[in-house]
Amino acid sequence: MLNCACEVSLPPKSPGEVSGAAALPPYAELHCLSNFTFLRGASHPHELVERADALGYAALAITDECSVAGVVRAHMAAKHRRLKLVIGSEFRLECGLTLVALAIDRRGYGRLCRLITRGRRAADKGQYSLTRADLEAASLAQCYILWVPAAQPSPSELRWLAERFPGRLRIAVELLREGGDRERLAALEQLGAHYAVPLLASGDVHMHVRARRRLQDALTAIRLKVPVAEAGLQLYGNGERYLRERARLARLYPRELLEAAVELSLGCTFSLDELRYEYPRELVPPGETPASYLRRLTYEGARWRWPGGVPESERTAIEHELALIAELRYEPYFLTVQDVVAYARRQGILCQGRGSAANSRVCYCLGVTSVDPQRGAALLFERFISRERNEPPDIDIDFEHERREEVLQYVYRKYGRERAALAATVIMYRPRSALRDLGKVFGLTPAESGRLAKVMQWWDRSAALPERVRDAGFDPESSWLARLVPLASELVAFPGFPRHLSQHVGGFVISEGALEELVPIENAASPQRTVVQWDKDDLNDLKLLKVDLLALGMLTALKRAFALVKDFRGTRHALGELPAEDPRVYAMISRADTIGVFQIESRAQMAMLPRLKPQCYYDLVIEVAIVRPGPIQGDMVHPYLRRRSGAEPVEYPSEEVREVLERTLGVPIFQEQVMKIAIVAAGFSPGEADALRRAMGAWKRTGGLDPFRERLLEGMREKGYPDEFAQRIYRQMLGFGEYGFPLAHAASFALLVYDSAWLKCYEPAAFTCALLNSQPMGFYAPAQLVRDARAHGVEVRPVDTCASGWDSTLERRADGEPALRLGLRVVKSLSQSGADRLVAARAERPFASVQDLATRAALDRGDLEALASAGALASLSGNRHLAFWQVAATERPVPLGFATARGADTREGRPLITAPSEAECIAADYASLGLTLGRHPLALLRARLAAAGLSPASEVTRAANGASVRTAGIVLMRQRPSTASGVTFVTLEDESGQVNVIVWERVGSAQRRALIESRLLEVHGELQQQDGVTHLIARRLIDRSSLLGELLTRSRDFH
Amino acid sequence: MHLTENDPAGKLVQLGMSAQRFTPRVSLAPPDGLLLEVQGSLHLFAGVAGLRGALLAECLRLEVRPVLAFAPTALAALVMARAGKSLEVLEPAQLTGQLAPLPLSSLRWPEYTVARLARMGVRTIGAALRLPRAGFARRFGDAQLAMLDVLTGRTAEVRVTYRAPERFRRRRELGCELENHGLLLVALAPLLAELGDFLAARDLGVVKLECRLMHRHAPPTRCVVRLASPATDVQRLTALLGEHLSALELPEPVRACELAAAALVPHRPESESLWQPGERGGSFGKESCDLIERLRARLGAEAVYGLTRLPAHRPEKAWAVAEPPSASTHRAQPGCSADSAPARRRPVWLLPAPQRLSVRDGLPRRRGPLRLVSEPERIETGWWDGDEIARDYYTAVDIHGVHLWVFRERAAPHDWFLHGVFG
Repeated sequence: MLNCACEVSLPPKSPGEVSGAAALPPYAELHCLSNFTFLRGASHPHELVERADALGYAALAITDECSVAGVVRAHMAAKHRRLKLVIGSEFRLECGLTLVALAIDRRGYGRLCRLITRGRRAADKGQYSLTRADLEAASLAQCYILWVPAAQPSPSELRWLAERFPGRLRIAVELLREGGDRERLAALEQLGAHYAVPLLASGDVHMHVRARRRLQDALTAIRLKVPVAEAGLQLYGNGERYLRERARLARLYPRELLEAAVELSLGCTFSLDELRYEYPRELVPPGETPASYLRRLTYEGARWRWPGGVPESERTAIEHELALIAELRYEPYFLTVQDVVAYARRQGILCQGRGSAANSRVCYCLGVTSVDPQRGAALLFERFISRERNEPPDIDIDFEHERREEVLQYVYRKYGRERAALAATVIMYRPRSALRDLGKVFGLTPAESGRLAKVMQWWDRSAALPERVRDAGFDPESSWLARLVPLASELVAFPGFPRHLSQHVGGFVISEGALEELVPIENAASPQRTVVQWDKDDLNDLKLLKVDLLALGMLTALKRAFALVKDFRGTRHALGELPAEDPRVYAMISRADTIGVFQIESRAQMAMLPRLKPQCYYDLVIEVAIVRPGPIQGDMVHPYLRRRSGAEPVEYPSEEVREVLERTLGVPIFQEQVMKIAIVAAGFSPGEADALRRAMGAWKRTGGLDPFRERLLEGMREKGYPDEFAQRIYRQMLGFGEYGFPLAHAASFALLVYDSAWLKCYEPAAFTCALLNSQPMGFYAPAQLVRDARAHGVEVRPVDTCASGWDSTLERRADGEPALRLGLRVVKSLSQSGADRLVAARAERPFASVQDLATRAALDRGDLEALASAGALASLSGNRHLAFWQVAATERPVPLGFATARGADTREGRPLITAPSEAECIAADYASLGLTLGRHPLALLRARLAAAGLSPASEVTRAANGASVRTAGIVLMRQRPSTASGVTFVTLEDESGQVNVIVWERVGSAQRRALIESRLLEVHGELQQQDGVTHLIARRLIDRSSLLGELLTRSRDFH
Repeated sequence: MHLTENDPAGKLVQLGMSAQRFTPRVSLAPPDGLLLEVQGSLHLFAGVAGLRGALLAECLRLEVRPVLAFAPTALAALVMARAGKSLEVLEPAQLTGQLAPLPLSSLRWPEYTVARLARMGVRTIGAALRLPRAGFARRFGDAQLAMLDVLTGRTAEVRVTYRAPERFRRRRELGCELENHGLLLVALAPLLAELGDFLAARDLGVVKLECRLMHRHAPPTRCVVRLASPATDVQRLTALLGEHLSALELPEPVRACELAAAALVPHRPESESLWQPGERGGSFGKESCDLIERLRARLGAEAVYGLTRLPAHRPEKAWAVAEPPSASTHRAQPGCSADSAPARRRPVWLLPAPQRLSVRDGLPRRRGPLRLVSEPERIETGWWDGDEIARDYYTAVDIHGVHLWVFRERAAPHDWFLHGVFG
């Protein structure tokens, strides 16, 4: 029936000779992997869809291996192109049997997801494991099965499948020109005839065009963890696994096989649009409707919030919100959020909601937020729940970071792992990871790849690349590098090549029915977590509910600070209930005296504070929102500051715009304001404005802001707004796009800003103590926090085995004020269990000696040495050297009852050991604690620095604007914000304070090594003073790190 | 004496042997230390300065850069040298004082111990010596304390004197000058017998045997026999040597001969196999090894080699020259024939480089038109090393019925090549 010999005799024939495309047989590709089959597939889902459409395929199936992670993207692209998309998955069973399952309808899709879940849950993260028994148990009654025969087709596989999937089984004939295509086809035809299983054509597609062959080889090598040159026969021998032109297929396959594929695709009617999401219902008690129950809870909360009676205006607002919620039937969503928050409350876990719906009266009454709607951030509810868009409102809830896991586990417990799981995050290749992986593909060692990745991570915008590559020890002319670069570009090109699935930071998907019939669930890296195969964009696209349960370190710190204050003074404080609008707090904030304060402690924020000089809560809301890439890129910061200082008149292009922008002096700062302008100035409907918001958030992903641009500019022109104003609004939208910070989030955050600032102002010891006990968190390391606390008059006492607990604590001084005692947790490499035993043993009676400590607390050598390194044994043994001498003599703890005479104290004389020098003590402090209570290391070097003409930080900051300055300091941090176009910000510290250095790109790249590698950096430059903010603009950078080393060696007594 | 080379081990042995000139009591402290007890030799070299000069001269000859130190105890001298100090301490009373400022690291104690001491502020030998003895032993062990005692001469040290390793080298002067190859073998027989006894007594096998034939004027003729597996059997060695000798051309008659075996390896006797080669179950054993050795003796080592298949798609890269299997290596990798590669048709004879074919009417020719009898196999790979190929391979039949493996380049101008011939 088929004559393949024609293909043999026709190799030189060009496609042009084949008769016109219309006469070609139709085709549907039913076995196609996207790059969501990680490190196998070499094309994005949308690329496959677009290519299949361009080739005139009748349909395309996305059949990633035991996964549907890429189907939403394919679905959105296929909808756009109006291409028929089939959802399926490829499976390789443990026995080697390979097959593709295609969903016929919604039920079949559900079963498919269930099978994927089963395979994924039975294996480690990123793997799966399925057997024939699993396949039988899955009852894929509503799926077509394609048998993908091995190199040597096994009749027993076919028989097994044919018995289980009668009528729905097909043999996938994949002719890939690997030699023997003709024999293979004949053999499969014979098998098909024998078992009465029809054949169809498919392509084992791994890429949309054959040009991805190299990338596919490279991905294979990465997957196998070998250089590509050693991957050998594990690579494909040719590049035929792409979406082939129909003319070629027509020459390779009998027409019937091509038509059979199309026919099968017509039988698969399932579309992701059919997925209907249902909220969990069990939260409503019997006898209540969701609406009546939400109303009841809201009014119960209202009585708690307004003990003197709910004001009439609030009651009206609540009724308005409830009516809107009822209309859109979002009650279960609010009830779900309320349930989680109520659980946290019961457990004493501090939490706060934020986001589009969080600042509603309803949420305030439900206790989801503590932001009093009257406190200044009154928001219009419609802006967050829109009638026109049929999608859930968005609420993020922050929890104490150390206790969020309890909340997550509560959700898993309450709804079960079949109904609740975390959203996924698709980890994409970034320049660094791409280079590291590709380096290994070309046979570099991991260390070399790391070096390459380091020098080349900013390749796309540097002409100096060859030099840097040479610096790293590679030949920039080498041929492998020339081959590597295009591959790396493909991996990092928009929208980013997916590498693996990880878990979203906290987005939970909860459903009424079985979640695993909606989307497969797999194991996350952490054993207690499970994730769905879709990320937040996918969930958004399909309008599935997600509640973000996030971890926030500041909540942990605030909770601890409140507890410390209560224990020390007996005063009770709670979130949002501290004395409001305290002028001393705002004065402190306006001085940028904000180390440790939530959000406004970063360098950029600190630079803004003296200019903005916040005086009230709403100013804090603005401060939080304004120092963001969005407003900065949209050029909103300076106009706002000028208007605030009166340097520029406050004007509005119209009365409608005045209403929107009045509170921010005519400058749009919040995302919501931009939306509102679109409505009042460009005539958008609220729903349209919301579509615009969503497009803004995703325009980098979809590139789809252009349609709105015309509409916006046109609309504003019609209403008589100047073009310049319209263009600015549009620019601001682009700026907001990626980093838009809505008022709804800023309002919640500002509350935490105020509360943490109040504590810093009035309870600095408790506040610092709480921050230290909540590490790691925030912008500063313990060293800076402690230094800052001492600068504010807090007495800080050293770690001491005779006094410290695990956490840092407050001790009462003679004058009744608190002193901060550092806890054992700051000691590096001390085990918590050892510290706990130490504290327990000390509670019985004080330690008499190091040996006594070792014996009674059963400390091992490692813990003892950690304590000795920290200087924590000082009150038992004297200086660190003596501490180590004594620790070295301690006996291993013996089981109770077996204590020998030798195990007790062996009296020894005091050895002749020199005491450590001051420099050695400081170095040891840093090494073990990360901070020192002694002098700053630069204090020891000051004489030499002064002799070299270098000024201390205190003098630098007093110098006049424009003065030429030389200084040196320890590098605290280097930042290279993506918004600052190549500028690096460096913070230097010495014994007198900090200096903020700005290194322009030109200076930075010329003196790159000094910039990147220095620990002690000398800077020559020009001082810039503005509104009390000081910057040193660097001209010259010199690495002085060796001085730190000399400090130690010079103090030693030999040589 | 401390050698400052990067890889001093080889030089150390060499120096150890030549240092026997200065004193019979030489001892190695690998990898980089050499100890000479020179008290008794000082007068021969006019004191320390003379001896230092003589030793340095010897080191210069061997191209070694040493640090020389003299001290009353061997360990002290070594430690000083390793600390890079060319000290000369002749009075025991001064020893401790001279050692004190040296860093502890020159004692070569375990890094962990040195680090622990450093954390106690003890970084020099002097600081360590000041510590209470009992307390020191309790913390760092008796061995370390004993070492300090040896260092300062508190207790004496025992060192093993160095002896050169064993090798076999025998020479025989011949009564008359020989020209006949056969007689040469007879003349070598006593040496071979001696070698046999030598090997048997030590359970050693030889993998390289060197025979040197001395002439009156011409430089000695060398004849080297390499063995595929360690040999102990004199008969086998004799037979092989015979093969090699018969291939030699002698410039002059032979007056003396020398037999040397430097590469000696421990030999483990094996049991004889039950089956003969070629029989079912018979192993590819000693006889084929013998065959390979004899072929190599006749044709030269490079002319006889093995082939091995490599897992690669490119035909050029799918095989490689390998050492012919020896009895031991062959057993290690059974079943070379069956592997996971799909059953594809590959010719046994592959051309060293593909040969361009002429084309007429779009079809390749070689002594007449070729007929393509297979469907194409496409191979496109190898982009990573600069030898990328993109070809469609076919089996073709020429007018004589010979099956050829040909390909057509995928890239324009789509030339045809011959790549192999099916056997």
